[in-house]
Amino acid sequence: MSKSIAFVGNPNVGKSVIFNKLTGQYAVVSNYAGTTVDVTRGNITIGSEQYQVVDTPGTYSLMPLSEDEQVTRDLIIKEKPNIIVQVCDMKNIERSLHLFCELALFKIPMVLVLNMRDEAIQSGIRINIKKLTEILGVPITCCTATTGDGVSDILKIIPQATVSNLNIEYKNNKDILTIENVLKDKTSIAKALSVYLLSGDKDIKQYVPQKLQEKVFRLVSDTVKNEYKMFAAQIFHDNNETILKIVSEVKKIKHRKHKSVMEKLGNICLHPFWGTIIMLFIIFIMYEFIGVFVAGVVVDWIQTKVFEELINPFIANCFDYLGTGPVVNFIKDLFVGQYGIFTMAIPYAFAIIFPIVIAFFSFFGILEDSGYLPRLSVILNRLFSLVGLNGKAVLPMVLGVGCGTMAVLSSRILETKKERMIVVILLSLSIPCSAQLGIILAMLSSVSYKATIVWLLCILFSLFLVGKILDFYVKGESTNFIIEIPKMRIPSIINILSKVKMRLVWYMKEVVPLFILATVGLFFMDKIHLLTTLERWFSPIVVKFLGLPVETTSTFIMGFLRRDYGASGIYTLAQDGLLSGTQILVSAVVITLFVPCLAQSLMVIKEHGIKIASIVFVAITTYAVLFGGLLRFLLSGF
Amino acid sequence: MTINVHKSKENIDIEEALGVIWTSLQRNEDDFEKVSETIEKGVSKNITNILLEKNFIIKEKNKIKLTDAGEDLGKQLTRRHRLTERLLADVLDFNRQDIEKIACDLEHNLSTDLADSICTLLGHPKQCPHGNPIPEGNCCKNSSSKIESIVVPLSKIDIAEEVTLSYIVTTNHDYMHKLLSIGLVPGTKLKLHQKFPTYIVKVNETQIALDGEVANLIYVRK
Repeated sequence: MSKSIAFVGNPNVGKSVIFNKLTGQYAVVSNYAGTTVDVTRGNITIGSEQYQVVDTPGTYSLMPLSEDEQVTRDLIIKEKPNIIVQVCDMKNIERSLHLFCELALFKIPMVLVLNMRDEAIQSGIRINIKKLTEILGVPITCCTATTGDGVSDILKIIPQATVSNLNIEYKNNKDILTIENVLKDKTSIAKALSVYLLSGDKDIKQYVPQKLQEKVFRLVSDTVKNEYKMFAAQIFHDNNETILKIVSEVKKIKHRKHKSVMEKLGNICLHPFWGTIIMLFIIFIMYEFIGVFVAGVVVDWIQTKVFEELINPFIANCFDYLGTGPVVNFIKDLFVGQYGIFTMAIPYAFAIIFPIVIAFFSFFGILEDSGYLPRLSVILNRLFSLVGLNGKAVLPMVLGVGCGTMAVLSSRILETKKERMIVVILLSLSIPCSAQLGIILAMLSSVSYKATIVWLLCILFSLFLVGKILDFYVKGESTNFIIEIPKMRIPSIINILSKVKMRLVWYMKEVVPLFILATVGLFFMDKIHLLTTLERWFSPIVVKFLGLPVETTSTFIMGFLRRDYGASGIYTLAQDGLLSGTQILVSAVVITLFVPCLAQSLMVIKEHGIKIASIVFVAITTYAVLFGGLLRFLLSGF
Repeated sequence: MTINVHKSKENIDIEEALGVIWTSLQRNEDDFEKVSETIEKGVSKNITNILLEKNFIIKEKNKIKLTDAGEDLGKQLTRRHRLTERLLADVLDFNRQDIEKIACDLEHNLSTDLADSICTLLGHPKQCPHGNPIPEGNCCKNSSSKIESIVVPLSKIDIAEEVTLSYIVTTNHDYMHKLLSIGLVPGTKLKLHQKFPTYIVKVNETQIALDGEVANLIYVRK
């Protein structure tokens, strides 16, 4: 059997970059903590030996109390890798050594990789590798993973991995030994188990051999007498003392007089005033690039030149060969009819959304890899705390302006269920996606400058009103804002491209089938005349309450399928002179607030279940209509 | 200001026992037999009777209760004990294992005034190093004091000031753990970079963003 290697390390130290470089696989890489949330596996060959490699989510510590860190620890205990490669941030050796002290307890052969050598050198940090190797007793090498410099040296030291001979003098060593001696003969991780048990870790109890459980648990509770917290603090303290001693021997800092350009830029992005200016500038660029250029110009070109002139006629011709008859007609309708797979699902997926998502992923990739997003969450933290969220929610909300479907998925990075719920509802209610935004702005600018402002105020008002209500009613905790701000870096084009590629593969696998499914559903709704019935049902609300022409009813139904589709329906009506200024404003507000598109709704169902999704759906529709009615009433009053 | 209070052996025992009872009651352990067994073992044999005689405690259906006088003494003792622990751990940097013993001796010799001064000096800490709450004194309620605190929450220091992290006050294990492991370890040097829109501190080569609530949990020494 081949040997196994686990890549372990603090968040954002470059485990995945090294993993990718060594295995030739692709695990997503970004410049913020928490990009890898699950394990990725691959293989490498060194000499004639094959190794199985596993990349783990970043962890600050293996000590108990935090859920995300358990993934890595459980993997070490369950899979018992033959070798642990700990990747460290060379600038931050102290923190890596904390994790090292904890890993050393498992007595598994290790090697240390000090990554980000370039940044360490820039910061004036020198590490005496020879001395550190002597002290820790494991092979150590340095590299700069992003450039690939020194990465191949890692392969050379992996076969030489050894168990660390670092011996930390724990003040509670006697207590640890008492437990360790009982466990010693039955498990190879006796020391680690003892320390965790004495620190009050409940999850680790399952790894104690069955026969010894009763005895060990009694011993543990007799020894610690409910002072678990104190015990854990003491261990941490002892580790810390050892680390400070080691660091004082191996690390030298030569302070620089000048800050680097990237460092200055990083700090400017955090500044309350300049940071806000930069944020607005980035939003502007994003809007111009994705909303105007790609969603407008490129999509239009693909729709007319590629689909309408080339693909559609070709497919229509193919189906013409089938002849006629009831069954053939039905099949034809299913594929190339008004709501056909080739006339609707495929063009939607490939002509409209495909270019927009490529553009967005590329743009977003640059933001991710530069380290800007954590800084944006600092700027917006206070604003978000008004609605029970914190700056961390910035990421899914920013994504939402690109594509709400993606954004719902990325809400997973939030810590509590309450936060995820609020974000998903706000995304569904008030964040228009880029394509929709483009059309709405085009429509409003034809009315007046004031109309655009009123629309914006309505959306922001709804966002904060509903956010506030949700904060009050959704049960659960809001968490405090604690994040690490990584250094600003110039993003690597290759990494961005491979990330875009990976996300596109995801898109093809997950979203395209959804589109086909939805179109088939719409096809059947049309066949049994449900569509026209719906139109008849809803026209009283649309005409009497919102004061809009009856034709807009169908655009609202279409708006559910695709947000921008509904908006473009209204846009066409406005162009034809069928809508007054007030009507345009009212319908723009309603279509923005209106339910999310089908893909996003399906994603909400996937993440939160059908029950919650239905409640959200009904509540948002009601709110959008009531708000639209109120707006109409107010506008007609003036 | 009275600095030292000389007490008889009996008075010390009474205080000690009341401290134990007070903390037991805080943990909702109020079984008369059990509590009296603990104090008779730990303090002195006849202590339960003395407390009953002096009207510090009463027995109500197998439950132990403190009278107002007993409550006051027990609470004050606990306060002095835990404040002493804080002082030893944070300012004098004593080994955590020795703290308990020294605190047990010192706690009887502190006057309320002196305890208040220590409390102010330490920035009115809310928890002892074990994570147990420190009962409030008068000084915590009216924070006007002539003594300047040397240990203050991060939110009270100036931008660009370099300080040393003393301790983190929280009963939430997750926060404590997260802060510790992100590099906010007692004893590390911090530099406050900005306070708005969020706090940004620099620890070694890392910048960490925190909201105001968290900044209030982090106590630092200037």
